[in-house]
Amino acid sequence: MDAHRQARADPNTPAACCGSCAPEETVRIHQVTEPAVGLLVDRFYARVRKDPELGPIFAGAIEDWDPHLATMRDFWSSIMLTSGRYHGNPVAAHRRLAGLTPQLFERWLALFAETCGELFDEALAANFMDKARRIAASLQLALFYRPEHDRPRSAP
Amino acid sequence: MTYVVTENCIKCKYMDCVEVCPVDCFYEGKNMLVIHPDECIDCGVCEPECPAEAILPDTAPGLDKWLKLNAEYAEVWPNIVAKGEPPTDAGAFDGQPDKFEKYFSSNPGQGDGPGNQPKDEEAAA
Repeated sequence: MDAHRQARADPNTPAACCGSCAPEETVRIHQVTEPAVGLLVDRFYARVRKDPELGPIFAGAIEDWDPHLATMRDFWSSIMLTSGRYHGNPVAAHRRLAGLTPQLFERWLALFAETCGELFDEALAANFMDKARRIAASLQLALFYRPEHDRPRSAP
Repeated sequence: MTYVVTENCIKCKYMDCVEVCPVDCFYEGKNMLVIHPDECIDCGVCEPECPAEAILPDTAPGLDKWLKLNAEYAEVWPNIVAKGEPPTDAGAFDGQPDKFEKYFSSNPGQGDGPGNQPKDEEAAA
């Protein structure tokens, strides 16, 4: 990481002060905190809702966004800060959604990466993306994997 | 992809993993826990929490036996969602060799999942 940028990214005065001030800022958050998670979740889902591919899927699934955003803050807090606040079954939640495709997961990841890149420094964004990619891969295995579609492996 | 509970959990069963798991995918045997491979979302939060370092990603080598054991017993043991009291002699067994052969029990533990009903809640991410 750029030392100059690191010196300015004081975790005690994070850019996570509001939901709308960060895109042009050069100071990026370098430490996971609850406000940082909150900022990411709020900004990411604002973007998702406007997205032509993902927006309609979420609009069809979520009537009341406030509780959903709270749930997602709990989820990411549990993942990144091991707070243990989220307890749920994301596989079952996604199984109920019609029209999910691997391409939509890619779109989700692209928007998440964009948002992480705006808010966080490279190392922190990479930490979030590592978790997001693993979880997305795992959900897709649960949703789309059909053993009968596997090609027989050739003998070593 | 999943995380897997391995041999050193046997007779140690500290259960710190259960507290941090966001998807409640741990199942309790008499003297060890297992992870349900179809419920684990591969987030890895549990791995560093285990004082016995018994939790590994399934990408680690040589885990076939433990993958099978986790899958098998997650189907029959009860769900556990809150940390209970670890065995008082857990420390004495931490790191012992051949714990599977000496101590593994296929008997279920108490479990504490919500009636151990199938979970079906939360909206999509």
